[in-house]
Amino acid sequence: MLKFITAVLTSLTTGSIYALMSTALVLVWRSTRVINFAQAGQAVFTTYIGYEVTIRSGSYWIGVVAAIISGALIGAVIDRFFMRPIFKRIKSGPIVMIAPVVATLGLLGIIQAIIGFIWGLTYQSIPAPVSTDGFQVFGSTIAFSPFNLMVLISVTISMLLLTLLFQKTNIGLALRASAYSPEIAKLSGIKVDAIRTLGWALAGAAGGLAGMLFVPSSYLYPNAMDVLLVFGFIAAVIGGLDSLFGAVAGAMILGFAINFATSYISSKLVFPMAFIILILVLLIKPGGIFSSRKGRKD
Amino acid sequence: MKRYSIVSAVVAAGAMVLSTLPAQAADPGVTATEIKLGVSTPLTGSAGLAYGKVPGAMKAYFDYINANGGVYGRKIKLVVRDDKYLPTLAATQTTNLILKDNVFALVGALGTATHSKAYTAASLAAKNVPDLFVNTGFSGFGNISKYPTAFTVLPSYAMEAKIMSKFIKEKFAGQAVALIAQDDEFGVDGVNGFKAGALALANTTLYPQSSLTDARAKALLTGLSAIPGKPVVVLFGTTDVTALIFKAAESLNLVSKFTWIAGSVGGDANTLLALGVKPTTIDGAVAASFFPDAKDSTDAYVSQFMKINEKYNKGVSFDNIVLQGMNSAMLTVQALRAAGKNLTRTGLIEAIQNKGSKFASAGLVPLNYSATSHVGYNGYWFGQLNAKGELKPYGGTLAIFTTDSAAGAVEASTYTRPALPKNGIPTNS
Amino acid sequence: MLKLTSNKKRLLLFILLGWVLLLVGDRVGELRQYQGSFVATYSLAIASIILLTGYSGQLSLGHSALMAVGAYAGALSINNAHLHPVIALIIATLTAGVFGLILGVAVARLTGPYLAGTTLALAVSLPTLANQFPILGGEQGVVFDVGAPPARFGEGFSQYKWFFWISSLAALIMIWMISNLLNSRYGRTFRAIRDNQISAALAGINAGRVKVIAFAVSSGAAGLAGGLLVMLISGVSPSAFPLSLSFSLLTGAVVTGVYNLKGVMLGGLVLVAIPEIADSLTTRIGGSEGFTATLPGFLVSALLILAVLFAPNGPGHLIKRKKH
Repeated sequence: MLKFITAVLTSLTTGSIYALMSTALVLVWRSTRVINFAQAGQAVFTTYIGYEVTIRSGSYWIGVVAAIISGALIGAVIDRFFMRPIFKRIKSGPIVMIAPVVATLGLLGIIQAIIGFIWGLTYQSIPAPVSTDGFQVFGSTIAFSPFNLMVLISVTISMLLLTLLFQKTNIGLALRASAYSPEIAKLSGIKVDAIRTLGWALAGAAGGLAGMLFVPSSYLYPNAMDVLLVFGFIAAVIGGLDSLFGAVAGAMILGFAINFATSYISSKLVFPMAFIILILVLLIKPGGIFSSRKGRKD
Repeated sequence: MKRYSIVSAVVAAGAMVLSTLPAQAADPGVTATEIKLGVSTPLTGSAGLAYGKVPGAMKAYFDYINANGGVYGRKIKLVVRDDKYLPTLAATQTTNLILKDNVFALVGALGTATHSKAYTAASLAAKNVPDLFVNTGFSGFGNISKYPTAFTVLPSYAMEAKIMSKFIKEKFAGQAVALIAQDDEFGVDGVNGFKAGALALANTTLYPQSSLTDARAKALLTGLSAIPGKPVVVLFGTTDVTALIFKAAESLNLVSKFTWIAGSVGGDANTLLALGVKPTTIDGAVAASFFPDAKDSTDAYVSQFMKINEKYNKGVSFDNIVLQGMNSAMLTVQALRAAGKNLTRTGLIEAIQNKGSKFASAGLVPLNYSATSHVGYNGYWFGQLNAKGELKPYGGTLAIFTTDSAAGAVEASTYTRPALPKNGIPTNS
Repeated sequence: MLKLTSNKKRLLLFILLGWVLLLVGDRVGELRQYQGSFVATYSLAIASIILLTGYSGQLSLGHSALMAVGAYAGALSINNAHLHPVIALIIATLTAGVFGLILGVAVARLTGPYLAGTTLALAVSLPTLANQFPILGGEQGVVFDVGAPPARFGEGFSQYKWFFWISSLAALIMIWMISNLLNSRYGRTFRAIRDNQISAALAGINAGRVKVIAFAVSSGAAGLAGGLLVMLISGVSPSAFPLSLSFSLLTGAVVTGVYNLKGVMLGGLVLVAIPEIADSLTTRIGGSEGFTATLPGFLVSALLILAVLFAPNGPGHLIKRKKH
């Protein structure tokens, strides 16, 4: 019984961090139709900034705010000064499909190199702001700590805020419109370019938060979030790249599947499990679980 | 467009031809003024956290010797390449050390999976490259037919497991024993040793290197906590994983549920504390060593190495890892001296075989080099860690045991080590 | 008089290339032979990506996994079944090809990011399977030993020259075969699918089947490259095929022009030369640990971005443009 509860709780925790990464990827996809592999690099970079701020100010939460803000700024800068020139130059030919993806891969490499150069490659730690000792339930300690709870709450709040933004505000409407029909959006007076940059900024902020929530349970080093990127991407694809809800649901499904498989079957099954889930989903529904090719739900 | 393919082919071929170097002389890496040694070891990555200090420690000792006349007037230069504890990278880096850096010999190569792959890939046997004092306890490296130019220094994991079996059966009779080990030759060597030591294991968990996360460690410990009594948990992994398991136990409040025994690879108290393990957790944990404790400044070797570290390795705190690195460096210098002024690879190998067992070192167990044995240390003593990270003999008295990597018995040892050469500078020949 | 068809011209070109490499291999030292073998291997891997992505338009991030399949198949053939190295390499190619066939069928309905995501998941998960099945050797891996060069070549024939010969020959043969395929009716069909799947279907092309064929051939080539790679490091283990290898290969393909097979050798050279240059630079000018370790990655990524910005269709087009 204890094992089951432990598995459920750790699944919630890992799933919620994947959810942040997959949300960031979906945000960029929806606004620019680009899979941003540099997301991992951006997230780590902003986490390093958060780390520096935390060390100097002594407060984790100020570090989180710093990471979110710098994440947004960096995301916006990347879109404005990097992605836009690329889109301008590459207008024709099949390279259109590949070039942006490849460009983000290159960007990832550069960001990680810069991080290694500035901060070195040794592992750093960010201490958690609340206890990481498990809660006491009925006399025994479970694998869920105040820190895990904090992560879960933070992610839920962020998701709610993002959903509100998308569903209930004009900016959200503009974001959705520009992704699907840029020409029509422009005709309606929406500044498509600016809106796209906003999408990247939001994604960058989500990545920064993800990093700050993830690192206290692990280490901080240039490649710290590579695995998260992979899982975030898989989660986004499972959920169908078109919906934020799908991103979160996909992340939870992935988190649960992996954690249960490793708890109950074998600890070596982490990656194969992810692949199996992905293939199963895509065989049944090539667009991901929550996508609908015909219309758009949100 | 055909032109492009011709152009690209010509460029590639030209690049290769124009950049080639003239052929090397007989034994590379030795000149009248310099001896070039190489090491492929993890500097970065999770293993780099634990063992990154080794090359710096070796270099510090070599710098000290260089400042005091070198080896027959030749200065020792150490080329260090980072292999991130990955077998593939170790293979290419070691090949680079031989082909590109033209080192005379390798010293202190680290890691079982990494070095066994690197040894074959870099053709060390065919090229007769001395592979000194490999930094791993894999008993296979003592196999002369497979690794003719390699010399181990650390006692093998099989030896450690056998001596540990005897220790556990004597001190913790009646308690269940659980083993958590790395899933490669290192861990399996240990498993075999426990078998040879006739220790019954209630639970064996093998995890692939770098795949044990916090969540999985917690699941594992939760499962083990169901075993009645006070089970003995043996940790046969690298320090970063040992730290992870300890921290998972802290988080689940399971530290006092088990008796912890940390294997030599992952049991360095200072590194564990630096990785965030609480002092209260390691207090009372059992660990094995074949050196004096790095904090024991009454030991002649330790205090000499501490002085060298202070001067030539500034900013690095002295611990068991640094002690080990300097010790290997000291053995290397004695080996180079014993090979004589006319330094050749064959000469170096023969020198260790003939004279190595008499080399001065900090080890409290004997060195077993001979014409038929490339095995270094072969024993351990057991101690308990306290909250300060010091290792004190278990039960108060130092009890050293020696054995082999096969089915030989575990015997009490009466070995006394050679005295420290004056100022730590060997003068042997 | 013999009429030189374009097929025959291509064959002659490859034979000529083979002779050049043979001569070059004799002149250079072991280090260059060693690196040359890597160039040949990477060139082959890049060719497989060009076939799949440049010609049939399917973006795969999982070529490292396909190389791994071939590598393990080859290693097990030599190590466990004690087969001749040449047979082992053929088995590597076929096994990877069959795997690619199955995979191609599974992902035939996927496009764009969905295909990329699936191949990405494959790339990270496949190597870890080595830990699941003891026969695959776990982290230790399986030894891949092609043995010493035959005695009749004499004493001076080094192990590295032997590697160079084997890898160059294998790569040349395979790339020649791919080149033939791409210049045939199949090549045109691939490009038709890539450019507009709907029009191609209207023209009567069975898009699904063609895509699967491209996948299978590409995987076979990648499998051979994988076998050659582990020959160079004397054994296969999961760490030989990290995700970053897939990214590097894609970089090599884009830098040389992902639409054209002509410059693969240049791509392979770039992938070997950049770490080499970075290494020499750092040895000469020193620098902090952070600098030396990150410089190769930085150079490769920077090159990739420059290539995408300024020569997205490959340097071949740059040369062409200059002529006008």
